[in-house]
Amino acid sequence: MLKNPHWAMMIVWYFFLGGIAGGAYFTAAIADNFGSARDRAVARAGYLLSLPLVGACGLLLIADLGVPSRFLNMMRAFKFWDPMSLGAWAVGVFGMFTLVSSVLSLSSSEEVASLRRKIGLVGMLFGFFLASYTGVLLSNSALPFWSDARLMGALFLASGASTGIAAITLVLFLTGHAAGEGWGKLKHADRYSMVLELALLIVLVVLLGAAAKPLTGGHYAPLFWGGLIGVGLVVPLVLDFVGPRVRALGALAAVLVLVGGFVLRYVVLMSIHA
Amino acid sequence: MARTLAMFTDTSLCIGCRACQVACKQWNELGLEVPEWTGGYQNHAHFTDKTFRLVRFIEEPGGKPNGDLAWLLMSDVCKHCAQAGCLDACPTGAIYRTEYGTVNINQDVCNGCRYCVSSCPFGVVTFNEQTGTAKKCTFCNDRIHNGLGPACAKACPTGSIQFGFRDELVKKAAKRVETLKGMGFKDAQLYGADSGGFLGGLNAFFLLLAKPSTYNLPDNPKLPQRNVVVDSLLAMGSALVVGLGVLLSFRERGKGGPHA
Repeated sequence: MLKNPHWAMMIVWYFFLGGIAGGAYFTAAIADNFGSARDRAVARAGYLLSLPLVGACGLLLIADLGVPSRFLNMMRAFKFWDPMSLGAWAVGVFGMFTLVSSVLSLSSSEEVASLRRKIGLVGMLFGFFLASYTGVLLSNSALPFWSDARLMGALFLASGASTGIAAITLVLFLTGHAAGEGWGKLKHADRYSMVLELALLIVLVVLLGAAAKPLTGGHYAPLFWGGLIGVGLVVPLVLDFVGPRVRALGALAAVLVLVGGFVLRYVVLMSIHA
Repeated sequence: MARTLAMFTDTSLCIGCRACQVACKQWNELGLEVPEWTGGYQNHAHFTDKTFRLVRFIEEPGGKPNGDLAWLLMSDVCKHCAQAGCLDACPTGAIYRTEYGTVNINQDVCNGCRYCVSSCPFGVVTFNEQTGTAKKCTFCNDRIHNGLGPACAKACPTGSIQFGFRDELVKKAAKRVETLKGMGFKDAQLYGADSGGFLGGLNAFFLLLAKPSTYNLPDNPKLPQRNVVVDSLLAMGSALVVGLGVLLSFRERGKGGPHA
């Protein structure tokens, strides 16, 4: 009988927040580098969002260890083929990028902005890594449901993007920056990643076949179909289609995307216990 | 590296006395556990953080030539794989290979991330809530470094568990399979003896009287790390698609320069 690692709520939160942090950062960096000056609000929101989230990620990871005081032991080794080892290093390195980018995003000087853009281009790679490696980590296990499709990394990345963009959208909405043109661009990008996420989910379930049972047929099935596919993906896509100009609907869609991102991590981690 | 040591468990000789299970508990000072009712002689049901040797009691109704119930008995243990998923997964380096080829967990280094638990193809490694660390058979690391065999092998009264140099034990095991086949056990086979086979061979290997799945062993266990390259590449592809989507959304159309 295979054993599961009993990763529970702390790791669900970590996967969820790490996805948002990575997604928000790379969205910010792309907006910063390739968008207009008017997209600066998007970049700033993304950078400033990723900093506290990645901090929370580090704390969650440490708290979940069997012996939290030994968390620095992760730094005893660097195994480039091991997602857990790389991930521990990446959280630290990415954390530093979010700190520097956040501080630099507070300045309006053009010189600082130029430096920030360059840093963003490098930090972005760690953002992509943080959003996706958690999925690769799961597929690197002996448990068929996690490992057989080999698509967990790709799926988590798409979800990290959609939740990261949704989080920026919400921040803009709540801080009164929703009127800018960045809003429409964010919505466009979010739709794009949600469609990819939906497509990857379908391929994943098909590839897994019988191994997808814990997701599609068991105790967690209603949450998977209703919470993730329905509330988390289809409803926000429909909302965006129905009222693309209504800011409140857009904000509601963003909340639902975040709920969906959480449900994805929750069902993938918790259904393995069943 | 010193010559590789191994344990050869010949299930055809096992009488289910559980001396190995008890000797393991006593030598390694593994604490008491509440037994669980499994509906048969099987106890405990699975490896735990306090059960490193476990006798499997497999009932085969009608398994004997005269139609009677047949017992398959097997003393199971950590396989000390030559390509060990747990060892590859361990981010702290707490799981290491000894000079004898066995796999051990340094309890002073393990920080309890539990990645090894999900990386074992046999469900051996278990998390211990009290110590906050991962636990498994140590191959009696203290004993083999002092010229003694593992406690389970020492206690086995029938020679079902044999300890020695791997190359010698493999030869012995191959002969034993031939003998058993000659006696009519047509499904007698070795599990994990072939160092060119799955997981690079097991340093605790077995002689089985039926196919591996009868003993709840995977027929062809795979290294969990086999997925890392493909999954990473697909994740990168996903990153490209997503990044391109964000880029297309934010790009300033028709204005040429990126910072227009």
